[in-house]
Amino acid sequence: MSDNLRTSASKFIDQTTRVSFKFDGKTYFGFKGDTLASALLANNVHLVGRSFKYHRPRGIMTSGSEEPNAIIQINKNSSVTEPNVRATEVEIYDGLEASSQNCWPSVNFDIGGINNILSPLLPAGFYYKTFMWPASFWEKYEYFIRKSAGLGQSPTEPDPDIYDHNYVHCDVLIIGGGISGIMAAKISAENNFKTLLLEEKPNLGGTTIYQKNDYFKINDQYSSEWLEKEIDQIKNLKNLEIKTRTSVAAYHGYNYLLARENLTDHLPIEKKQNTIRQRLLKIRAKKVITATGSIERPLIFDNNDRPGIMLSSAIKKYADFYGVACGKENVLFTNNDTAYETAISLNNKGVKVNAIVDIREENKSDLTNEINNAGIKIYNSYTVINTKGYKKINKITIMKLSKDGKTVTDSKVDIKCDCLGVSGGWTPAVHLFTQSGGKLKFDDNDNIFIPNKYPSDQLSIGSCNGNLELEDIISNINVSLKNFLKIDKTNFEKLKINSSKSISKRNIWLLPSNKTVSKTKAFVDFQNDATAKDIKLALREGFRSIEHVKRYTTTGMGTDQGKLGNMNALGIISDTSNVKMSDLGTTTFRPPYTPLTFGTIVGRNVGEFFDTFRKTPMHDWHVQYKAKFENVGQWKRAWYYPKGNESMHDAVQRESKAAREGAGILDASTLGKIDIQGSDASEFLNRVYTNAWSKLAVGKCRYGLMLNEDGMVYDDGVTTRLSENHYIMTTTTGGAANVLGKLEDYLQTEWPELDVYLTSVTDHYATASVCGPNSKKIISKIIPNLDLSDESFPHMSFKNAKIGNIKCRVMRISFTGEQSYEINIQANYGKSLWEKCMEAGNEFNITPYGTETMHLLRAEKGFIIVGQDTDATLTPIDLQMDWIVSKKKYDFIGKRSLYRSDTIRDDRKQLVGILTDDPNEVLEEGAQIVADTSKKPVEMLGHITSSYFSPNLNKSIALGVVKGGKNMMGQKLFVPMKDKIINVKIADPVFLDKENKRLNA
Amino acid sequence: MLKYTTSINDTKIFDNLKIFETSPIMKLIVRGKSREFISSVGKSLNILLPNEPNTSSSGANVTALWLSPDEWIIYANEINSDDSNSYIIESELINKISNTGLGAITDVTDQFVMLNLTGEKIYDLFMKGSPFNFNEFKKKKGAVTQTIINKIDVIIHNKNDAEVNLFVRRSFSNHLWSWLNDSARFI
Repeated sequence: MSDNLRTSASKFIDQTTRVSFKFDGKTYFGFKGDTLASALLANNVHLVGRSFKYHRPRGIMTSGSEEPNAIIQINKNSSVTEPNVRATEVEIYDGLEASSQNCWPSVNFDIGGINNILSPLLPAGFYYKTFMWPASFWEKYEYFIRKSAGLGQSPTEPDPDIYDHNYVHCDVLIIGGGISGIMAAKISAENNFKTLLLEEKPNLGGTTIYQKNDYFKINDQYSSEWLEKEIDQIKNLKNLEIKTRTSVAAYHGYNYLLARENLTDHLPIEKKQNTIRQRLLKIRAKKVITATGSIERPLIFDNNDRPGIMLSSAIKKYADFYGVACGKENVLFTNNDTAYETAISLNNKGVKVNAIVDIREENKSDLTNEINNAGIKIYNSYTVINTKGYKKINKITIMKLSKDGKTVTDSKVDIKCDCLGVSGGWTPAVHLFTQSGGKLKFDDNDNIFIPNKYPSDQLSIGSCNGNLELEDIISNINVSLKNFLKIDKTNFEKLKINSSKSISKRNIWLLPSNKTVSKTKAFVDFQNDATAKDIKLALREGFRSIEHVKRYTTTGMGTDQGKLGNMNALGIISDTSNVKMSDLGTTTFRPPYTPLTFGTIVGRNVGEFFDTFRKTPMHDWHVQYKAKFENVGQWKRAWYYPKGNESMHDAVQRESKAAREGAGILDASTLGKIDIQGSDASEFLNRVYTNAWSKLAVGKCRYGLMLNEDGMVYDDGVTTRLSENHYIMTTTTGGAANVLGKLEDYLQTEWPELDVYLTSVTDHYATASVCGPNSKKIISKIIPNLDLSDESFPHMSFKNAKIGNIKCRVMRISFTGEQSYEINIQANYGKSLWEKCMEAGNEFNITPYGTETMHLLRAEKGFIIVGQDTDATLTPIDLQMDWIVSKKKYDFIGKRSLYRSDTIRDDRKQLVGILTDDPNEVLEEGAQIVADTSKKPVEMLGHITSSYFSPNLNKSIALGVVKGGKNMMGQKLFVPMKDKIINVKIADPVFLDKENKRLNA
Repeated sequence: MLKYTTSINDTKIFDNLKIFETSPIMKLIVRGKSREFISSVGKSLNILLPNEPNTSSSGANVTALWLSPDEWIIYANEINSDDSNSYIIESELINKISNTGLGAITDVTDQFVMLNLTGEKIYDLFMKGSPFNFNEFKKKKGAVTQTIINKIDVIIHNKNDAEVNLFVRRSFSNHLWSWLNDSARFI
């Protein structure tokens, strides 16, 4: 098979296990261990996608996460399809289906390719300039622009995969399992640090693990052989945990990092089921060692983006690691020695290298000597000025560089090739370091940014620290780790290292051509199609800041985040604008380092785990009796209990009537309950509530309003004096936790002298509230020996009781205006208590009612709900509750604020009752109230806060807040709605039983 | 008679992990500051209240967990009967502490559901939902922490090697139970 470019066996690839996969509908074969990229290259497939803007044919360019071109769509199924996946990172498995993106109808024939011909009309900033006017046309433009925007297809159905999170804590986190990371892991773990080593690839060892070159030896062994033994050793270290296929996405402050562990993406489909696909690790590390390596830079010349043009290091990896030749006629184009390593690897495997084009004038090293001896032609001081081949490179043209490197001279030389390896030097992967807040400095010698100031306890080692030679890497690790981990020695201080040194250097950011820049397409950002010409245009148009140039040209804004292109872009800006690289700085590196799936971010916080919920002890009963639930705080509260096909309105009307005429029962377990004890408990209540508490007799209950420091109503509830120094406070359902926190805060910081202890007992008690004219009869059936006479047990009092052997508390308190008893019992008896009440109440037609009916009943009685009728802008005076504010007390929270000029204004919004002229008209909650509809703009006097149809009064009732409402009793106002204006008048907010006859009945 | 209904009442067994609800277990919150308070509680319960943060002490009948400088939770070592909710220990403490003004005793028996977890995988489960660093905690018998698991407040007591008691507020217990069972599938 002529298309098979698998040249040699590789121990990293299991050539006995054939894997079948589909790409763009065609079936191919690879081996276990292949990435999609290596398997495609083995099948001589370079063309895998089209570029974003010009739809130019693009091929695989790299072998890692920096890949800008081979961005593909995985899987067809509309629920698990995933766009923008890098073919260089996807491990193939049986049944994998992948396809090209951003092309139609196919990658081979793409209509969008017309953009390439139109490219002179599509300069940087094309969209900004073109669609600016007329402004009103934007919506029309947008329709078309949206259609062409974006890459790939999003899934259209819910993701069936499972993801989760893990919190991880370690002493030392090492990011990157190359030679530096391995050495650091060994040193760290052997010195008793709990160590975690993360590697984004499936295997450890980085580029060294396949380095079989006579000029890179450690202790007289190939560096790969030496490293392999080290890896075998560290796998047994008990303090060390190693995670491969795990990529650090974000490095936040204080050594908090997020990493994605990929668990099943490489497995065949049948093994992916019912298991975690990807896991987000939330890591807290005492120390972090970054060993993220470096990324090879491409060179910038005309038409440097054709399929078959690849990084020279990628070609080497495909040859040495995967046993795949990327071409049959290879040429390398370089400014450093890396490409020579690639040439030696290819040559050793019998893969033809036609030439090496080197921009350096001369170059003497062990590696170049080897190439000379192998008879491979080296063109020193030459540059590539153009390439040919639309869907695959077939020829390059080179010319001699002038002394200053700014122009080309002499005549053109054509060299045939089907693969061109480029190497423009190495860029340290400082992304994570800078994400963490680290500051970089520019190294003029190697033209790289390297770590300078660490913001947290961390260290960069290896090539991400700018140590590009093997000997430097190892010696630097020995020195810096001793200092970093505060240890005396490392195991690696006596290594014998041989490594070829790259001596001569020459760097030209934008290589000259025989054409002017404006006539060339020298790509800087391959994914976003930003060229050197675009960058120069941006500079000509006045953009100076690197951040502005980035946004104008979209350089570095693709899914690869400019891993390949950014340094070259900076270099071109620096050269063009004559600003030093160190002054220019870099753009901001933001997380994630490589894209994360939404699933990983969300983890198991889906479905029932999306939000926390709380259940009362009677919850199962409500479910059994078909209650509809509403969320109140985190609680699931019974909302109403429809019978048969009853609507909510009908159910609520029925429940409300039953509660007033027979008996009703409400699950009030969700109310916050705080146990208050201590010799200063009464004084404490005096300070937190607006009314006075000292004279409340034991066994009595009192309603209290709690204010914020600003004088606004914060919470309310009934507090009962259980004994001399013992109270139980109830709070609103939603406010419970905040009230306890606020009160505890006051005790600890403002009033430490008070002898008071607070303990939450919200969950300890189940509360069944039985109300209605028959409530007394029902309670007496349940607790026969309890004296319920009005003399012994009047409204607003409490008694201890027992049901069988079980202690409980009975409070005669009411939120409905009916005679009402609340039984508080230990939660595990709550459901049984409820059932007993239902049984005892059966003959009186006891009716369970939910929160909606509760709201209606209390509105009839004019009782407020904090948070519904109040909104943190209302004082007790605004609520017409002056009676509850003690004038005698020395102080209470919020007292001073009640006497500010603003809070004593007469025209503040005040709570009033609102009645519609038409008794059947039910106002909308939130509707505005106005006095004069003809005035424009209409002056808003206030709004409706609660509104119901009252079955007991047979008319609609509402509460609302109205400016100066207190003094407007009986006044006619209007509630303008979309289609009508409703006539209303201000009324007393107590609609029912103002004399409290029912309460005390 | 009233029927006793716990919120979980279930046992789940996974690889190297067993979870079940222990009930009824008497639980009290005990609060106070003075030296007399500490010694009075100590005498009544025959244990020394732990004063080192996040530790515990155990006696023959009860275990005390430190919650804050003036707050402990005391729980019975053995289950009690569910046909009464009066506890001798509680009334003795109320007499000696609450009624003498030394501090506060509050019954929280059903405020918290106590889950018992045993097995090697306890902490692998916790690390899926808790930001707390259990590395030292799991080695220290008697250690106590108040943290969150899946956003829910919990108190965890390291009872023994590979055994913890976990206290969660009753209203949250169903949700936590559900989450524990879901996540335990993947440890």
